[in-house]
Amino acid sequence: MKSWWLVPFCKTLHYFGITVLVGIVGLVDLRIFGVAKGLPVRPLQRLMPWAVVSFLVAAASGYALLRINPANSLGPPVNIAFAAKMALLVLIGLNDILYFATRLKRQVDGVGAGQSTSASAKIVATVSIILWIGVVYWSRMLTFLAGAI
Amino acid sequence: MHIVEILQRWTESNAFFTWLRESPSVWAYPFVFFVHTLGLLFAAGASVIIDARLLGAARRLPVAPFARFYKAIWVGIVFTVLSGAVMLVSDLQTKLMNPLFPVKMLFVVVAIVLTALLRRRITSVDDAESTVSPRMRALAALSLLCWLGAIASGKFAAYF
Repeated sequence: MKSWWLVPFCKTLHYFGITVLVGIVGLVDLRIFGVAKGLPVRPLQRLMPWAVVSFLVAAASGYALLRINPANSLGPPVNIAFAAKMALLVLIGLNDILYFATRLKRQVDGVGAGQSTSASAKIVATVSIILWIGVVYWSRMLTFLAGAI
Repeated sequence: MHIVEILQRWTESNAFFTWLRESPSVWAYPFVFFVHTLGLLFAAGASVIIDARLLGAARRLPVAPFARFYKAIWVGIVFTVLSGAVMLVSDLQTKLMNPLFPVKMLFVVVAIVLTALLRRRITSVDDAESTVSPRMRALAALSLLCWLGAIASGKFAAYF
């Protein structure tokens, strides 16, 4: 018999992880767009390992939720929202790989207080924000389409 | 409970709220819920990171420039509160009867008040000094607790 609190507990952990993640991603992206230019980017981007930690918390609790109620996401038929969410997460991963592999991240690290970032950094930040909003949208639709809202 | 009854009667006959409750469209209740989630995630997320900075994380970051993020945080809060109010009114009785509802509201109200207080104080933080005042750190700790408390009570409320 599953404890009644297990699902809300995992969902709470899932939300805590995403909250910290969205906080870091959101503030870094906004700074790249030019909001709060007084902040040097390098120490702000040093928060990124914490974004990775919070992603792992969200991923682990999300996996637990998937195991508890696999039919909500995997069906059959597979939940379209779940598929869309996973696809967007893969795209986010690719966007991040692009950001690091092209050394764009290092270039942005050099942006000090009061300075503007390059156009390519702004493009990557825009893609990041759009993809994350999509992840949140499909997460909402996931529970709705599963009839578990 | 008089006002509740009046509101309840109004939303039961109101076309918009009936549509919101009953329509299977993804643009009805799910979309309002999405706006609520997105606004909250940004407002709470950004606040939590600023709280962490005030509590001593990422000390190399000057504090005062964070004030510029508050406009975006307020936009997030406004979207969250408006969409939350719409969902509340569309299903008033059930939500008001939930024992966790007042707990969540308390967390939310305190978190919003703290957002205003921190916003006002953050510009006057002297970044030449390496420490943030104990009073401000206390406000940041409370803010962190309230945002996380609001999220946790919101999640648990669905299971009561």
